[in-house]
Order: sequence, then structure tokens, then C-alpha cells
Amino acid sequence: MALAKEAYRELEEVVGKEYISDDPALLDCYRYPLSHTAIHIGPYYRVYTPRGAAVLLPGSAEEVQGIVKVCNKYKVKFKPSSTFWSAWGFPLEDDTIQLDMRRMDKILEIDDKNNYAVVEPHVIGATLQAEAMKVGLNTHIHGPGASCSCLASATALGGLGPDTLYMGHHNENLLGVEWVMPDGEILKIGSVGSGLGWFCCDGPGPSLKGLVRGMVGTNGAMGVFTKCAIKLYPWPGPATLPVEGKPPAYKAVLPDNLRAYTLGFPSWKAWADSCYMIFDSGIGYVAHRQFNMFGRDLKGAMVRILSDPTRTLSDIEELLKDPEVQKMTEDMKRDYQIVLAGMTPGDIEWQDKALDKILEETGGWKVKAMLEPDLFNWSLLYMIRLGHKNLNLVFGGGYDGCFGLGGTPDFGTSGEPARVEQVTAFKVEWEKKGNVVACGGDGMMGGIGGMGGGGHSLWENFTHFDPADKASTEGTFEFFNATAKYGAEKGLGPGMEKMNDYARWTDGYTTPKEIRDRILGSAAQPEAFRYQRKFKETFNPNDLGDGYYRTLDDPDE
Amino acid sequence: MALEDYKADMERCSQCSYCKWIPFDQVKSWRFAKGCPSIAYNNFLSYSARGRYAVALSLLNGQSTYSDRVVDIVYKCTTCGSCDVSDKICRYNLEPLEMIHELKFRLVEDGQVLPQHTALIEHLRKENNMMEKPAAGRGDWAEGLDIKRVPGESAEVLFHAGCRFSYDEELQETARTAVTILKNAGVDIGIMGENEPCCGGRAYDMGYKEEFTRLAENTIKAWTAAGVKTVVTPCADCYHAFNRLYPPLGAKFEILHTVQYYDRLIKEGKLKFSKTVPMRVTYHDPCHLGRRGEPYVPWEGKEKKIKNQIVIYEPKKPRYNGAWGVYDPPRDVLKSIPGIELVEMERIREYAWCCGAGGGTRETYPDFSNWTATERIEEAKATGAEAIVSACPWCEMNFKDAINTSGDKMKVFDVTNLVKQAI
Ligand SMILES: Cc1cc2nc3c(=O)[nH]c(=O)nc-3n(C[C@H](O)[C@H](O)[C@H](O)COP(=O)(O)OP(=O)(O)OC[C@H]3O[C@@H](n4cnc5c(N)ncnc54)[C@H](O)[C@@H]3O)c2cc1C
Ligand code: SF4
Ligand code: SF4
Repeated sequence: MALAKEAYRELEEVVGKEYISDDPALLDCYRYPLSHTAIHIGPYYRVYTPRGAAVLLPGSAEEVQGIVKVCNKYKVKFKPSSTFWSAWGFPLEDDTIQLDMRRMDKILEIDDKNNYAVVEPHVIGATLQAEAMKVGLNTHIHGPGASCSCLASATALGGLGPDTLYMGHHNENLLGVEWVMPDGEILKIGSVGSGLGWFCCDGPGPSLKGLVRGMVGTNGAMGVFTKCAIKLYPWPGPATLPVEGKPPAYKAVLPDNLRAYTLGFPSWKAWADSCYMIFDSGIGYVAHRQFNMFGRDLKGAMVRILSDPTRTLSDIEELLKDPEVQKMTEDMKRDYQIVLAGMTPGDIEWQDKALDKILEETGGWKVKAMLEPDLFNWSLLYMIRLGHKNLNLVFGGGYDGCFGLGGTPDFGTSGEPARVEQVTAFKVEWEKKGNVVACGGDGMMGGIGGMGGGGHSLWENFTHFDPADKASTEGTFEFFNATAKYGAEKGLGPGMEKMNDYARWTDGYTTPKEIRDRILGSAAQPEAFRYQRKFKETFNPNDLGDGYYRTLDDPDE
Repeated sequence: MALEDYKADMERCSQCSYCKWIPFDQVKSWRFAKGCPSIAYNNFLSYSARGRYAVALSLLNGQSTYSDRVVDIVYKCTTCGSCDVSDKICRYNLEPLEMIHELKFRLVEDGQVLPQHTALIEHLRKENNMMEKPAAGRGDWAEGLDIKRVPGESAEVLFHAGCRFSYDEELQETARTAVTILKNAGVDIGIMGENEPCCGGRAYDMGYKEEFTRLAENTIKAWTAAGVKTVVTPCADCYHAFNRLYPPLGAKFEILHTVQYYDRLIKEGKLKFSKTVPMRVTYHDPCHLGRRGEPYVPWEGKEKKIKNQIVIYEPKKPRYNGAWGVYDPPRDVLKSIPGIELVEMERIREYAWCCGAGGGTRETYPDFSNWTATERIEEAKATGAEAIVSACPWCEMNFKDAINTSGDKMKVFDVTNLVKQAI
């Protein structure tokens, strides 16, 4: 639906002619194909998120405020997005205004005394990390990697990743926010709201962190965040990463206080025990089951391909026959990657000794092949920069995680057989149907520490498919229906594969109200969503956000 | 290939946005992290490879039709290939740069063209050059030089000056110097003078594939008739055309850029330096010599799936991701000149920032082109270098124009200029 001419003109006045467009082809760049990664709601073959009414590129908080005021005047929904990695950032309705925040891309401050940075929405993990490293600091980069907005994952959605063990979940790192509220007012949250600087998001000053961010975030449905402060952490490495090698097999030879290992374990119990020991000992800078996203059977071959610029996916089958790759794959069957960062020479020696002791007690090992200098330096760089995360989609362009074994480390590893083996066996059967990549059933990938200091871990079972292939896409969808059912029956908790069905439905538009109410109403604590409805009524009186904000307006309140 | 053949790629693009940046492992600062000049200048998602995939898909699906905006999106791309390198950090089954070319070809086929391009191409058809100059003057740059003329005389190596070096009065001296250096080093070298054809590479990058093919076929015929075996060129655009675009049309010549020839001669002891050139310089990798300068590898095959849904190619397909471009020869030449101190910019080799002159943007979008060049000059200045050195006349001119606009003091050289100073 086209925007009223008058509204368009007023929006144009706010940002300038150059920074607004309603050209249909341009608008189609702001639609997400729901086939390509299921993004926890599909996949649906050749279905796209709705076309917005216009795209705007604001250059300041004042311009954002101007846009939001025009939207309120004309009752037009708006959806801000910073780096557009997933469907969450795109409109749910045709007549929505899309705000592309990329012009607001400054690192406004790095305070190396108080360890924080103040950033605008389009600052990404790679650039903030590069600048922080120059002053001996580092930033958390959440799971989707270095291309993603630091602000989006700190303020609006998600926020856990491989370095969460040491650098926290990004909701823990948020130290203050500048918020253009849904009615167009600007509010600064936390100490900065009292003019005291960006050091604490809970005050002194307006303490609304729980409302604007909470655990999952408001997903772009409750106003626009125009700056935020993020906590930084010590970086005991060089000011610039000394990268060498040919693409894509870059590697970094870093000082000896930075070490990357792939650990293997003889049993799932040993695997989980080692996680607890890591939490207890306080060692580790990055800890993640990362390369298993390619699958239990394929990861050895994939590591060889990715670290060698002459290789391609066409080498997979030959590599799978190589006894050395077979041995490496077997050694890595129950594995995770860990980076140790010693703050002093004594510290790294102590951490490495502690790790050896953990391995001794659990019967685990450092996977030998991954200690070869080239692989060691390659995986070190990979884990620290997290600049290869589009590998999630390397096989055919489509992936999604299913199951989602979230909890303490032994949640996934206990049971008889271990839950991870149960879901592996289940997936292997579906792999036989030919619609998803046959990777050995276990593509389980995820953090060893799902929150700062550890304690929680989360795995999603990577399922790779071809979004350009109808049978593959629809077969994957069927598989996800089956995994959701299986997960519910086995008490595995809510699967990731249906995570967003309360918001976006099969046609890419807002989930029909009765279905949405049923989904949110059957949640463990539906009261939270009724409470959020009150928030919405107060802060977003014209209801200009979208269904990603979970509100329940069923009659049972 | 046709645009439709890339439809699966369009659907497989994972919307990661890597194509907007240099490879993340190589990011050294906030200031110089961007890779795609087109989105950096134009901002809307559509001006990235990701966006161009989406625009192409929208057109193919009939969801949108041509508009001024679509034309702007398609042509405001320097075809620098930075997106292609960054895409292939993770993806093994997408070819963004090929698709970008196909999209331009389609617009040209459909008559969705820019007037500036049409004028250039009309002229090219009549006068055989991209400089809007008469064909008859093409050989004037070499007047007075004692150099063999091919095809009348035979020479082991053909020196192809290219359109800009042939006609641009500010740069002609570089071509004269280059051919003289090679001759004096004992190379049996000749030129085609006014008979030298346009390589067609720039027409190709603008979307005029038919025009390119006509020129390439004529050139191949002319060279074959003249018994040419080896061609050396000081122009990165020509190098790319001969090296990558001609072989699929049947060309079988050894192609060298002058920097490769100098490097070879220096290493063989045939080119020696006697003077010191005290200068701190930085080297700009031209896209067509660097990431787009990888050797052509013949391949014919098809897509295949293994392990159910892993998309591969049978037989194994060559992977052009910038790994094997011409990066070291120019650096080795510069390093061998006494007194030269080579300092590197942040974005180099396969992830170098483009000069802004390619893809027909210099001719149609001067502000964008100039901004792109200015960004590079800023990066060069950050190294503390007093000069930026390149190996392409198009880069050189764009840098000079940017410097003239901004009033900067940075000097601009071709590698040849410094080699000459050292001899
Ligand atoms: C393949 C894949 C892998 C993933 N892996 C992980 C993972 O390991 N860990 C994890 O935590 N999450 C993960 N996610 C979910 C992830 O958090 C988000 O998809 C991702 O952060 C969003 O991308 P982005 O950073 O580019 O942010 P954007 O796309 O810019 O936005 C993300 C959300 O925040 C909102 N938003 C963005 N900017 C603003 C702003 N300025 N003001 C208000 N709202 C804003 C958007 O509307 C959107 O809802 C994954 C998703 C996918 C598709
Ligand atoms: S070729 Fe260059 S300008 Fe064009 S989309 Fe790719 S990176 Fe951008
Ligand atoms: S890098 Fe490749 S896969 Fe990613 S958005 Fe760009 S074109 Fe698509």
C-alpha cells in the first residue's frame, strides 16, 4: 500500500530527498526471503517479507525523532534495522516505513579507563573490535559475527556468542541507551539520563533497561535506539591483528599468550563435566562448539577446505576418504573450541595447566590436527574476529537450527542415550529423505557459556538446505514440523525452529491474532505478555511497532 | 550465461552483507573497513551486491519494472569486484560479480542505457577508442620513438598501450617510457600504433558485451595474423581483458603487465638501477590487475549436489576470489628501487579499495567516482606516504582529478615513472 503523498513529503523534509525512496525495486531489497534461512519461522519457498512503503536513511537522533513524529501523525508503522542479518529487522506489513540506520555509524567514544564504548547503530563487531584493540580492549561479538551491529544485539535482539563466557551476553554489556520512544520523545536510559556519563544502564537515572531490552529484546517494535554504551573487556594481544595468508584461509600468528584449541572427549558426560570445570576454574576467553555446525561427519573435511585457499566444496568427497581427515573427524566427534588469553605469562601457563588438568580428569584431549601451526593460527583468528559467520550458510545458502538444547551443559548430554544422540539419530533418519544435507545428524553448534562466566549452554542442530530448491525447502519445513513435535514429546524445551511463529506467519505477514494468542497464551508465563501489553499501551499508544513485541490481549487476563 | 542462469544464486544469497565490507579478518580500523564504494556512497541496501541480487530477482520475478532508480542502481557500480572477494570468504557457490555484469548486459539489451555511455560506445564503434578521439591519432604517442611497427615488422613482444595511454597527453610520456625501458633491456618489442585496437574491457564493464566481443574477436584476429605470441601492456584494464576475457573466445597469447615484465627483467639482471629515488610511497592495487587479474582457467561443467544438498560443480570449478592476482611484482619492483620506502595502506591486495574509475562510473557519475578516489587518497595520506603509485592509467587519472578537486599535495605516479627515475 502506498504511503499518503503528504506523509511522504513530510518524511522527505525530515531526511532530505536523497535519503528516502519508495521505488519498488529498491523496496524489494528490503524484503527477506523466508526460504533462505528459516530464521526460526519456515522455511517457505519463494515467500518474502512484505514490501515496505518507503525506506529512509536517517542521519541523526533528531531525524529519527522527526520520522517517528510523522509516523505518529499519520499512524504509519515503522521498523528500524541496523545491519539486516535476519527477518526480524524487516516489515511485517506492507505499509510499514523501513528505517535503515546505516548512516548512523560512528564510534562516538572509547573510554579506556572505564572500559566502555559509545556507538551508533551501524557500528559493527569488526570495526569496534579493531578500534578497541588499539587501546588494549575488546568487545563481545555475538554469534552471527563481525558483520552485525553492536547496538542491535546489545539493545534489541539476541546477543550471545562464542566469547560470552568471558565477555558476557550483550544484554549484560549494555551500559546506557538513547531511545527515540514510539511516540517520538527521546529518553536517555541509565546514568547518562542523569548527565552522569555512560557507566550504568540501571541508573542513577531512568532505570528502564528491563523494559527496553530485557532478555530477548523488543526486536525493533518499540521505538528506535540511536546510541548506546557497551562494556569492553581486556585484550591482551596486539593493537592490530597480524593477518596473513590468502583468502579465505587467513590466519594470525599471535603472541604465545593467545592459544586456540579444539578439545575432544571420550563421552558426552566427559564433555559436560569439562564445561563445568571450565566455569569453576574461570579459564577461557572464547568457548564454543563452532565447527560442528558443518556436521559431525563433515567438519574435518570442511576445516581442511576453509584453511586451504586452493580447495573448494568439490573436494569434500575426496577429503572424506583421507585417513588423516577421518582420524581428525573422529577425534573431534564430541568437541568444542576454546581460546585461552593469558593476561600475563604466568596467567597463560596457569590456564593451560588448568586446562590440561581438566582434560586429564575427563579423559579429554587437545585435537592434534588442530595444533598444526596453520590450523592453530587459522582457528585463533576465526574465533577472535568471528568474521566467517556466513559459513552458517555455506552449503547451499539455507540453514536453520532446530531443537535448541538450552540449559546447563548436561541438559543435552544426559539421558539414555544422551539427548544429543537421540536428536542426532532422529535427524539422521530425515537426512535419508534427501532434502537436507547429510552431515551425520549432529550439527549441534553453540556456546559453552550462554551468559557471562558460564553456567548455561545452548545448542542448535544446524540443518542445511537449498533455498533455491522447492523439494529441499519444503522437505526441511516438514522436518522442522517433526522436530518441533519430537522436542515437545521428549521435553526438550521450545525448539528454535518455531521460535518466531507468534510474530510472522507462513505468508511473511503478521501472525493471525487467534494463532498468536494461542501461542503466547500457552507459554510458561503468559502473564509476562499481558504485562507487556500494558507497556505497549503506555509507551506506544498508536501501536506503531509490530508483532515481534510479545503482547497478549486474550480475554483471560 | 544469461541473467536467468543466476536466479538460483539470487535465491541463495544469504543476505549477510559481507559484500559491503573488506574481509572482516583484515579490518584494521573503523575508518577503512568498507569494501564496496557503491553502497558506501549511496547507502541504500540496493547499492551492494546483496541489493543487486535482490533487484535482479525482483525484475526477473516481475515484481518491479525498470525505473530511473533501477538504472541508477545497476550502473552506479565500478565493477571493482571487492564484493566478490568478501562474498567468497564464506560462500563457494555464488558469483556476485558475474551476476552484476549479467545485470548490466541485460539492461543494455533492453535499451535501458545512460546517454553518456551511449555516446562513448557510438564513438568507440566509429573511432576504436574510449577517449572520444579520432582513430587516426592513436599511434601519435609513439612519434619519434625507434620502435618496430607490427604487423609490418615482426617483434617477439607486442606492447599494447591502451586507449588512455595512447591519447591522454598527460600520460603519454609514461607509455613512451615503458616501451623504451623494455627495449633498452633487450626486449624485442613492437607496437601497433594507429592499428592498435581497443581491448573492449571498459565496454564490457559498462554492460556492452556485444561491443566487447566484436572488439576482442578483431584483436585476436589481428594478433594472430601478425604472429603475436606475447603481449605486454601498462594498462590494468587491458591486462584484465586480455588475460581473463579473451581466452574464452579462443585467445592463446602470453599476457603480461609491464610491472610483471620489469620484475622479470630485474630478477634476471637485465634491468638495473643506478640512481636513488628517496621517496616514501604507497602502492594502490588496481582492481583489474589485483583481484580481477587472476589467470583464466578453462572450465566447462555443471552444478551438482552431494550429500543431498551441498551445491558443488563437476568437474571442480576454478575459484576466482582474488587469491592469485598480481600483487607482488609491482611491490617487488618498487622495493628494488634504491631509496624507495614502500608503506602499505590498510586495504591492499585482494581487498584494496577501488580508485572509482571503473564500470563506466567515471564517465557518468563524476561525483561518486571522485569521492571514491578521494577516499583512497585519504587512506594513502594516513600512511605518511608522499606519493601514491599505481599501475593503471585510469586509476592514475582518477587520483589526479581527485587531488585537483581537493587541493591535496599527494603525488601520483605509475610504477614506470619511478623505474625511469632510478635508471
Ligand atoms: C543465521 C543466524 C544466526 C544467528 N545466530 C545467533 C547467535 O549466535 N546469537 C544470537 O544472539 N543471535 C543469533 N541470531 C539471531 C540474531 O541475534 C539476530 O538475527 C541478529 O542479531 C540480527 O541481525 P543484526 O545484528 O544485523 O541486527 P538487525 O537486523 O539490525 O536488527 C536486529 C533486530 O533489532 C532491531 N533493531 C536493529 N537496530 C535497531 C535500532 N537502532 N533501534 C531499535 N531496534 C533495532 C531490528 O528491528 C531487529 O528486530 C542468529 C540469526 C540468524 C539468522
Ligand atoms: S563491484 Fe564494487 S562497486 Fe560494484 S557492487 Fe561489487 S564492490 Fe560494490
Ligand atoms: S556477501 Fe554474498 S551471500 Fe552475503 S549478502 Fe553479499 S552477495 Fe549475498
